[in-house]
Amino acid sequence: MRRHLAAARTTLALTTGSQRAIRERNASAWLLPDDGSRFDRTQVENMRRFDDNDEVDLVIVGCGAGGATLAQRMAHAGWSVVCLEAGPFWDPDTEWVSDEAGSHHLYWTEPRVISGADPVPMGSNNSGRGVGGSTVHFAGFVPRLHPSDFSTRTDDGVGADWPIRYEDLRPSYERIEQELPVAGQYWPWGDPHAYRHAPHPVGGNGEIFLRGAAAAGIEARVGPVAITNGRFGNRPHCVYRGFCLQGCKVNAKGSTLITHVPDALAHGAEIRTEAMATAIETDAEGRYATGVRYLRGGREHLQRARTVAVAGYAIETPRLLLNSANRRFPEGLCNDHDLVGRYVMVQGAPQTAGRFTQEIRAYKAPPPEVSSEAFYETDPTRAYKRGFSVQTVSPLPITWAEHVAAQGHWGHDLRRYMQDYIHWATLGALCELLPQAGNRVTLATERDRYGLPVADFSYSQCDNDRAVIAAARTVMEDILRAAGATEVITIERYAHLVGGCRMAQDAEHGVVDGDLRSFAVPNLLITDGSVLPTQGAANPALTIMALVDRAAARLTAGARAGLRAPAGGGAR
Amino acid sequence: MPARRPPARRTVPSGEAGRRFPGFDVLDQADAWDPATAATVLQRLQLQPDLRFFTCAEEACAGALLDLLLAQDGPPQRPEVPVLQMIDARLAETQTDGWRYQDMPEDGDAWRATLRALDEDAADRHGAPFAALPAEQQRRLVQTVQDLHGKDWHGMPAAHVWSLWTRYACTAFYSHPWAWNEIGFGGPAYPRGYARLGVGARERWEHPDADPRDPAADSQERT
Ligand SMILES: Cc1cc2nc3c(=O)[nH]c(=O)nc-3n(C[C@H](O)[C@H](O)[C@H](O)COP(=O)(O)OP(=O)(O)OC[C@H]3O[C@@H](n4cnc5c(N)ncnc54)[C@H](O)[C@@H]3O)c2cc1C
Ligand code: SF4
Repeated sequence: MRRHLAAARTTLALTTGSQRAIRERNASAWLLPDDGSRFDRTQVENMRRFDDNDEVDLVIVGCGAGGATLAQRMAHAGWSVVCLEAGPFWDPDTEWVSDEAGSHHLYWTEPRVISGADPVPMGSNNSGRGVGGSTVHFAGFVPRLHPSDFSTRTDDGVGADWPIRYEDLRPSYERIEQELPVAGQYWPWGDPHAYRHAPHPVGGNGEIFLRGAAAAGIEARVGPVAITNGRFGNRPHCVYRGFCLQGCKVNAKGSTLITHVPDALAHGAEIRTEAMATAIETDAEGRYATGVRYLRGGREHLQRARTVAVAGYAIETPRLLLNSANRRFPEGLCNDHDLVGRYVMVQGAPQTAGRFTQEIRAYKAPPPEVSSEAFYETDPTRAYKRGFSVQTVSPLPITWAEHVAAQGHWGHDLRRYMQDYIHWATLGALCELLPQAGNRVTLATERDRYGLPVADFSYSQCDNDRAVIAAARTVMEDILRAAGATEVITIERYAHLVGGCRMAQDAEHGVVDGDLRSFAVPNLLITDGSVLPTQGAANPALTIMALVDRAAARLTAGARAGLRAPAGGGAR
Repeated sequence: MPARRPPARRTVPSGEAGRRFPGFDVLDQADAWDPATAATVLQRLQLQPDLRFFTCAEEACAGALLDLLLAQDGPPQRPEVPVLQMIDARLAETQTDGWRYQDMPEDGDAWRATLRALDEDAADRHGAPFAALPAEQQRRLVQTVQDLHGKDWHGMPAAHVWSLWTRYACTAFYSHPWAWNEIGFGGPAYPRGYARLGVGARERWEHPDADPRDPAADSQERT
């Protein structure tokens, strides 16, 4: 009872709080148009434009979760910022569609090779391109990590300890949650906390999860999702159209395109699109970064900068560092200790679907609806360490067909199963798979259109990984059966990529420190998901953005790192 | 300018009877879709570009394989989702998913290699190209590939071949509004959105399932 009262009190305090402080910190939601169109194109047309030879305070590679957050924070603090983004500056009105196959252009589809004992398919399921990065088509679940995630090596003997604690990140979590903004029920797991916006109503899939969890005695909650409930600035309410993974045409789901980019532009940042970074440049001795080499319109450029931040996601960031080898760093930039590209992680994401006589029609309402973290922590009665979370996922027809085909169905069998689509409710787990040195990005011999060696991502599971995935599957099947499913099927999948440039206490154990500054090159930062030393069983975007919020505050407070180069670009 | 909606009504693809959602046509809602989405979806109902990627031999083999995988085997006058053309266009434009297994060639080369291998199997066992075989023999050859799972098939892991075929086939087929009619999917819903959420709830224009029995339980009874 006391717990419930406390939850009600914190929720009330948050939901009635003023939005003024949020708007002062980041006015993005108020800079969007309120005339029914989704992005103010004059912001793009009037964007400040720097010259390659302007030695800007900061150049960022990649405009996704991490890159856009950093651009906004630093531009807001008065730094001159150029963000190089390989993809386009999206116009949601004309370039995004409510259609699965028609959303192919949102994904990073440059060639990549996958290998190892348990290779991880990429494409739609893993990474995006263009302004907003993968947050354009991410589902929008935004849970925090648990305090235990920061010391799994000490407490559980697996994974790695972070160089920072949960408490270091809490204020950043709160700030980003306000800016996305997050809607959801009071959250009882990890560090219990409330959300500012009320939970969304649930569709058939969420209803089944809640019903099954209640019957099985498992605690479940609605949210947390980065989807506006009610108006937020000029962002309207969700229309429950269910195409969150194809980009939200409504502006209800937060992507950094609408949560951070408008304010970055308003503060003079330049987001230079269709600009593919090919190498990070340093001075001749390799002491500090001097800028970023990139290809645009088929021509090579070099943007000079005093500080460089890389935010290309867990595959592209290590690849760019490896492709930036020079005399001082023959094995790749910042790779003195053979750590760049290692400890890349994916979450085991088995999906279990249950068949119900009633119509579920899981395609309505956002795929992210209901979640449970009741199995997140290490349970001493189990044979494995760490755990998993369970969430609703609502596959649209093509994804569902892959699910059915993965069961071995084809021909008439496949067609008949598929005609049963609206009767299925689907849950997905996020299993904490452990970081392993052998799970890594290396350069393949094959080259892409830019002439750069493509990434080879090798992935293999360990015994603990397999045990967690099996346990998650059992729980999901139990929930669906408890809800009345007459048949359940499970497929093995992966979700989310993190790691590859992990943060650590010192250079022998990681590529960057807790402030995301690389150990080897002091004015080079890595500000994306690749810095995570462990991944927990939570979706990563909120944590990535919170880490960047914290690093940005450190950067603003400290002295600007890089040295000014003499006129004429003598740094080379 | 969005493409115009063609006159055909309540179409479901060849091969299955379409008895679950009789009378449902997702295209009746096309006027409620935003122009960008309508253009993308309705384009699939237009004449598809001529084949550019597959050679004649590959065309014959791929056509037969895809008809089998997706059971588009109704009488010739029944409408077919032009899966072969859709895949050919993707491969011609190298519109891949952005990855390949290390032990497989690039998708385009992988399609060519696997079709050649299928024809070789057909020639070895039955002395004719795959497309010329009766359906039952084709089915057995395809089943053999699936049954090999991770084992080698003509120098490629059979499971990765299977994934290539089914991925391309399912993506093309289930992107088509006729397939949506067959499965009762409500389709795009912007700007209108969905208003009636929850178990058993339907928009006014969505059709109930005319036969909500579990087809898995069903087929056990029948066979
Ligand atoms: C289908 C799907 C669903 C997801 N669902 C969720 C979810 O519900 N919750 C959650 O928290 N997370 C989710 N994620 C994961 C989340 O989107 C990512 O973890 C997060 O966006 C990663 O942030 P990032 O900054 O590391 O990279 P990204 O957001 O991917 O941004 C990287 C950017 O860098 C650009 N880039 C890369 N290389 C270069 C280069 N050389 N030059 C120039 N630009 C470059 C890319 O174009 C891209 O725009 C999902 C992801 C996918 C694909
Ligand atoms: S369901 Fe809501 S949040 Fe998701 S895409 Fe549709 S309007 Fe946007």
